Amino acid sequence: MASSQLVKVLIVDDDNFTRRIYKTMLFRFCFEITEVEDGKNAIQQFVDGNEYDLVLMDKHMPNMDGVEATRTLRGMGIPVKIVAITDDASSKDTFMDAGADKFLLKPLTFSMLTDILKSFNFLN
Amino acid sequence: MASAPLKAQLTDLLNSMFAMDFLDEQFKELQMLEEASGPGFLAEVVTLFCGDAERIISQLSVLINEPVVDFGKVDANVHQLKGSSSSVGAKRVALVCVKFRNVCQENDKEGCIAALHEIRHEFDELHKKFQTMLQLEQQIQVLDSK
Repeated sequence: MASSQLVKVLIVDDDNFTRRIYKTMLFRFCFEITEVEDGKNAIQQFVDGNEYDLVLMDKHMPNMDGVEATRTLRGMGIPVKIVAITDDASSKDTFMDAGADKFLLKPLTFSMLTDILKSFNFLN
Repeated sequence: MASAPLKAQLTDLLNSMFAMDFLDEQFKELQMLEEASGPGFLAEVVTLFCGDAERIISQLSVLINEPVVDFGKVDANVHQLKGSSSSVGAKRVALVCVKFRNVCQENDKEGCIAALHEIRHEFDELHKKFQTMLQLEQQIQVLDSK
């Protein structure tokens, strides 16, 4: 886990509205949340030395899509949990091959999120 | 309680929106999130969605009226609108987006024009109902705070 007990989450989605909903869901758990609009900025977060416990990764984004961002993070040796969240069902295999830990179809519900957090032991 | 009639009106409005498929289960998710995060969340996301949708629909109108339509850009915009409408529970808007993407992928300009017209209609209807919903919520909050 990232240093300190606080779970740190990086939301990667080009849709402002989607990021707002995820943030509200995650605030209930008092997690520390950072948001970026595309895969390129997600990579930069790690290049800058930031640590995260969880990445919620969209697929279709400008500059760098979620699959490429996932592949790049794994290539950098970043062990962060990556959950792909997209409405593109056909991208599951691609995402998992790129190194995602889980794949979810949008829209994300609170129960889906809770199940994921429990599976990663992020909820006490 | 002074706000009781308005609360009943709001309940009726939301029930009719669900019954007529303007909204689906995803909107109930957002209502549950508001219960946990406090008043104002639903108003914020609905306002965000409406602003985004209006911007995208305007952009689609520009793109489709180009002499040579860039169907890739049209599809990308419709995809974004489908995503946000699904996330807010705007069922009818999301369904029209699916139809729109199908004609877009066939490079069917006439089909895109028709789909855009339909999306504009569905969004305008939804927007009116959302505005009524937000006004009622605001009036209820004012009365309940007295």
